[in-house]
Amino acid sequence: MQRWSLLSILVGGLVLLGLGTVRGEILALALPLLVYAGVALLKQPQAPQLSATRAFSAERVESGTPVIVHLSIVNMGARPATVLLEDLIPQRLALLEGQARMLTVLAPGASVELTYTVAGGRGVHQFPGVQASAEDMFGLFRVSALLPAAGQIFIVPQVIRLRRAEIRPRRTHVYAGQIPARQGGPGIEFYGLREYQPGDPTRWINARATARNPQTLFVNEYEQERVADVGLILDARRQSDVRTRDGALFEYSIQAAAALADTFLHRGNRVGLLMYGRSLDWTLPGYGKVQRERILRALARAETGDLPVLEKLDYLPTRLFPARSQIVLISPLLSHDLEMLASLRARGYQVLVISPDPISFEQRGLAAQAETATAMRIARLERALLLQRCRRNGITVLDWPIDVPFQQVAEAALSRPPIGLIGREGGL
Amino acid sequence: MRLLALFCAGLATFAMALGYAGQSLWAGAGICGAIGLLWLAGHWRGWDWAADPCLAGWVGMAAFGAWHKVGAGWMLGGLVAALAAWDLAHFAERLRGAGLVLQRAELTRTHLRQLASILGAGLLLGSIALGVRIDLTFGWALLIGALAIVGVSGLIRYGGGR
Repeated sequence: MQRWSLLSILVGGLVLLGLGTVRGEILALALPLLVYAGVALLKQPQAPQLSATRAFSAERVESGTPVIVHLSIVNMGARPATVLLEDLIPQRLALLEGQARMLTVLAPGASVELTYTVAGGRGVHQFPGVQASAEDMFGLFRVSALLPAAGQIFIVPQVIRLRRAEIRPRRTHVYAGQIPARQGGPGIEFYGLREYQPGDPTRWINARATARNPQTLFVNEYEQERVADVGLILDARRQSDVRTRDGALFEYSIQAAAALADTFLHRGNRVGLLMYGRSLDWTLPGYGKVQRERILRALARAETGDLPVLEKLDYLPTRLFPARSQIVLISPLLSHDLEMLASLRARGYQVLVISPDPISFEQRGLAAQAETATAMRIARLERALLLQRCRRNGITVLDWPIDVPFQQVAEAALSRPPIGLIGREGGL
Repeated sequence: MRLLALFCAGLATFAMALGYAGQSLWAGAGICGAIGLLWLAGHWRGWDWAADPCLAGWVGMAAFGAWHKVGAGWMLGGLVAALAAWDLAHFAERLRGAGLVLQRAELTRTHLRQLASILGAGLLLGSIALGVRIDLTFGWALLIGALAIVGVSGLIRYGGGR
């Protein structure tokens, strides 16, 4: 019950009881309560006339990095104000240090500073403003106002750069990079032999081959290394996501997407990102740090969705990806995804699937029971079969048990294949 | 602040229990003691809700005592102490929930000064009223009663709106 209501009922009750019993003593008892309530009523609070300005130690940080929020509030009114100030912190941010609430007396023109530290997961966190509440001297009446002090923190996913992430798309650009281009020329890896042509460096001459054919000079040819187009597809379908008390499997997909985008861009490639699920959220391909930031911001905003038309991968807009380029799908994979992946492969794309393991993720939150073990076994068999079918279709699959760091799994699986396998179609 | 509220609650319990005991109404004294114990339990366990029922209980006991011609002075004094305890408990809760409190000492001092002056005025008016006798006709009593009902319902509505 509100304090004012309680006080009113007690005063009314005493007055009525005094009149009903015709006892003046009872009426006299109501007087202290009446005086108390009357003074509170007469000295009601007025809406505080304050202005607030906000500043952050950083407006764009990586997930988990603390951000210091500074808030300065000035009393613009002509009277002193006793106010309770509460900065409304976005729900997904956690207060690490300091206080976001303050009770203070502000003289006219005086200012007060509120400083605290927050941290949180990826996303755009918007601060709506400061709630300023003024109360009368006994706290019976309250007037609240929302002071506009807008601000936002952009928290991008944490990025782990991979030391090795070798891919072999069928088509590369003309610019020098780090992806073997299946063409002879200057490079590092041995590619083949050809006849000497004027202008070739003499250190390329292959002495043994020339000795076997004294009439001709042979030179070594190396495989050119160039940059390529990489299309990252992030599976944001709700049906492929797994949510437990510990969080969502989708966060691991985000982590993998951020790491791969950063790694490929760092190596000079042109990278685009398509988020498939809630909508078709397409980040146009680009190079360099600006593109890295674009992709990280897109990933920061990423959410799963269940748009019926995007339940299957059938509507994947393949025209967005240049022909014969590298496609990296980050998805736990559903059984009906195989057809589309095989279709992509048939159209000449090099397809790499990074698949966070949904079974091991879900198992962590389940009690160890015989039924659970059996169900897990069946699910594992089904998944193993699906992944095997993918591999048979020439798709490279990286099965990521989420207990192991992504960096470790990816670097082991995406290291450059041995030289003898490089020429094969099925290689990365 | 909470200790001061506890002291005021003790004072209210003591004054009312003494008033009832003076008239050998031991059950009344016991109930006043029980309300005091509820306050004490609320103080120890951190039950912020306990202040409201305790005030209602004390006011009820004061009214009952005045009706049964228990010393009205004890009842008035107890009621004023109960009001002080209720107010201070809320003030302590407000300070606790505010997080950071700047000028805590000044705020507390100002509040105590204002509370003391208002409760003093209430006690004075109540004491004067105890000595004044006004004869009301049935019609006047009915009118005042109706006004009280309308006024209280209006005040509750007003307070809810604020």
